Amino acid sequence: MTIHTAAHPTHVDPRLSRYDPLTRVIYFDDFDCGLSGWTTLVGNYEDSIDTMTRSYARHMQPMLSQITHWDSGTHGAFDGTYALKIATRAVPGERNTAIKRVTFRKASKIRVETYFAFKPEANELKLSDLDVRSVGLLFDLQDGQRRVMPHLRYLNALDGQRMNRWQFKQRSTPFRAIGSRSETVTHDHLSPADWEDVPGAAQKLCYNEIPTKINWHYLRFDFDLATMRWLEFQCNDQTFACPDVQSISIAAMPNLSCMLNLVFFCESDTAKRSFFYLDSVLLSGEF
Amino acid sequence: MASTMRNAYTAVIARGDWWVEPLQTEPYEVAWAGEALFFIHVLQTRCEPGDDPVGAVARVQISPDGLHWVDEGSSMRVPSQTGALAFVRVREFGGWLRLAVEVASGADMQVVATLALKA
Repeated sequence: MTIHTAAHPTHVDPRLSRYDPLTRVIYFDDFDCGLSGWTTLVGNYEDSIDTMTRSYARHMQPMLSQITHWDSGTHGAFDGTYALKIATRAVPGERNTAIKRVTFRKASKIRVETYFAFKPEANELKLSDLDVRSVGLLFDLQDGQRRVMPHLRYLNALDGQRMNRWQFKQRSTPFRAIGSRSETVTHDHLSPADWEDVPGAAQKLCYNEIPTKINWHYLRFDFDLATMRWLEFQCNDQTFACPDVQSISIAAMPNLSCMLNLVFFCESDTAKRSFFYLDSVLLSGEF
Repeated sequence: MASTMRNAYTAVIARGDWWVEPLQTEPYEVAWAGEALFFIHVLQTRCEPGDDPVGAVARVQISPDGLHWVDEGSSMRVPSQTGALAFVRVREFGGWLRLAVEVASGADMQVVATLALKA
């Protein structure tokens, strides 16, 4: 019997060994190194901050968390100490976001991968597995013709009911102009409306047994910038083909050429803070 | 932190909020940082010309777990004047920081509050 002892190429960097990037790494953000360009998604405004859509004005800054709990101390991240943390306020239906803004140099296939976990704030001695409404991601993209926004969320619970399914949306709220100069418009593409199940949407994740035990999950989402179409996504051991899944699509807008924005978001279903943790994020492309 | 450059990050913890009644800002995790500065910038008030309200007092609070909070001992007084800018410095604060704010009667203010962190 031959035992292969040569190192697999990805073992050169063990942090990458658990990922499957395409040929070009666009960014690999390990949150042990800092926030790496992740910030909050604020709404547009003109002349006065009061013109900002309220749901966006309430978004707060992401943070670096060591995931420390009152009963068990520091949990830590998948590797190292810190994870990116997106926290909602303690209000039913409240959401929060983290965004990284870059542009693309080739309209290629792209792949985002992350290891994530979500939990409600551990302020009750209860299972609390229905307090987080959803966690998800979206791209905000623009080519020469269209602005395209694929949205994907894992709907954990809705109005107290267990849902455990993946959803997308292909519609957004109508645009409205901000201010008097008509320089800026806005729409609430993360509104609670218009979510639809992806085909074969159901999946059970590893919530564990109390709010202070964290298990990391793998998520991969593939999209083609050339056709502006979904390809597929994977969470842990389930892969979801998406040939007919659509995105929010509108006419191209000024000042957004080659936009490649990635947003992670979290929604709370109850009057308890919901926390969405990302150990690291890898965005790669085929070019 | 892997880099030899000191890490730094500024979080906006109140964005155009009107401070009217006692409140606490949302918990912010700061275990990676060694020093912090809170700033409060007053965008506008409802004071009339000639009014001289006391303003607001913002106390720094720390927490062992993000759930239970205690005064750290530092605080800042925030004048109820459009354009006012107040700050307070803190160090050795553990894993979380927030502000507990009390607004004097008639001193309502719209603010941008930031937390500037450095490793």
